[in-house]
Amino acid sequence: MNRLAHDELLELRSELLRITASLVESIPRATQILLDQDLEGAEYQILADDEIDSRTLDLEDRCVALMALHAPVASELRHAVTIMKMSADIERSADLVVNICKVARRIHGIQLDPKMRGLIGRMGTQAQILFRHAIQAYADLDLPMAKAVDDMDLFLDYLHRQFIESIFESHSAGTIDLAVAIQMAVTARFYERIGDHAVNVAHFVRYLITGEIPPAGDHRRGGRLGEADAEVEGLVQ
Amino acid sequence: MSNETAGNLSVTAVPLISEVKERQMANEMSESPVFAVKDLSVKYGEFRAVRDVTLDIGEHQITAFIGPSGCGKTTVLRCLNRMNDFIDSAKVEGLVEYHGVDLYNSEVNPNEVRRRIGMVFQKPNPFPKSIFDNVAYGPRLVGGISKSDLNDLVEQSLRRAALWDEVKDRLKASALGLSGGQQQRLCIARCIAVQPDVILMDEPCSALDPIATARIEDLMQEIKKDYTIIIVTHNMQQAARVSDRTAFFTTEVNTESDRRTGVMVEFDLTQKIFSVPSDERTESYVTGRFG
Repeated sequence: MNRLAHDELLELRSELLRITASLVESIPRATQILLDQDLEGAEYQILADDEIDSRTLDLEDRCVALMALHAPVASELRHAVTIMKMSADIERSADLVVNICKVARRIHGIQLDPKMRGLIGRMGTQAQILFRHAIQAYADLDLPMAKAVDDMDLFLDYLHRQFIESIFESHSAGTIDLAVAIQMAVTARFYERIGDHAVNVAHFVRYLITGEIPPAGDHRRGGRLGEADAEVEGLVQ
Repeated sequence: MSNETAGNLSVTAVPLISEVKERQMANEMSESPVFAVKDLSVKYGEFRAVRDVTLDIGEHQITAFIGPSGCGKTTVLRCLNRMNDFIDSAKVEGLVEYHGVDLYNSEVNPNEVRRRIGMVFQKPNPFPKSIFDNVAYGPRLVGGISKSDLNDLVEQSLRRAALWDEVKDRLKASALGLSGGQQQRLCIARCIAVQPDVILMDEPCSALDPIATARIEDLMQEIKKDYTIIIVTHNMQQAARVSDRTAFFTTEVNTESDRRTGVMVEFDLTQKIFSVPSDERTESYVTGRFG
């Protein structure tokens, strides 16, 4: 590619980093909106998603144009492919943040018990940590960090299961309504999905660096989940 | 109804499997390569043009040589059918084996080498003869062919070179009246007519427009099942489009004499060269950061 095309690729990289930065900031904000049942904040966050949608769309358009007009190869090709793939994961994650804010509206006026509130906070924090590391690995082309994101996701999955268990406990103790229990279960799912998108992003960082795409769900194969669970539980208790 | 759906599904699955197979075939280097080149160096007088080239060329594959000017890719190509014999100062060192036979053994007949290993040049070079006579030239030289067999051979060669339909009504017309792209396909037909095993192509499309280039590239894909093709090209996208394997050459500057010598940097599957090259110099060249 010529210099102009190379500069455009670097500009696409910067734009992707900017979009992801606003996503990373929005995750704890959504958690706070949910815990505070902040309707005004929810409204703001839901509207803000339109901007992320249009920016990722624009990013993908420019990336297609770059590939069509300048036929990148080698690391430049991998970079263009990485931007296209990461853009989709980031856009979906922003939608999940919106979903969390919508839950704040749905359960407005209902008190959540402290244990549940605590777990929501920790899931939000862990989801943000995953995304921050994945994007930092991209910014620095840091292969060990990209690989670490897989294991960070195991902890988020653990929190997810803990949360589901506590929903069941609260429901059988009669302290939570079934409709609210369902809302809480999907909320847990939203955080867990954000974590999975961060894992995808980290996988594409690995592809960008090594040229090999790690198989999806690799870190969960071969019964390692149980072992990891035990490990994580050992740490938590 | 459900059977029909299943049938449709399996139909779409077939090309996928064959694609995978094709890729696997390209992946595996055949056990007995057409060419086994070992430590090949070429000198023009005291000047060493290219040094220490080692590579195997697989049968029915298209191998591309890419690299900047002066990197020795054409020199290596010309070693494969002893074209460097015509340059008095050229001295070839190392081993070039063709189907296990040392090409530079004194008992090997260079004319036989060039019949089996044909060459197509950068500039189409038809003889100033009729279209028919151009294609018939080689077989007539070899001799021992009847008139009707010769007619068949010329037609067959022109068909294989995807030129027959365009010239069948004017076989007696001068070849020089053809367009550039047609002339190049005529040269390929002329090359095919002596029934070679390998076709060497030295920048075969650099004088052609994109449509004529695309026709030659299609033609290469069609005939590769019968021939082994090696192409030197300046056009990296062409190497990416047509070849199974790519060898990247570059130049090294000798600090004492300030002269440049060509070296082969990397030889691998074309897809790998253009997506994840192993050598930093290849990466720089294919992405255009060279020089």
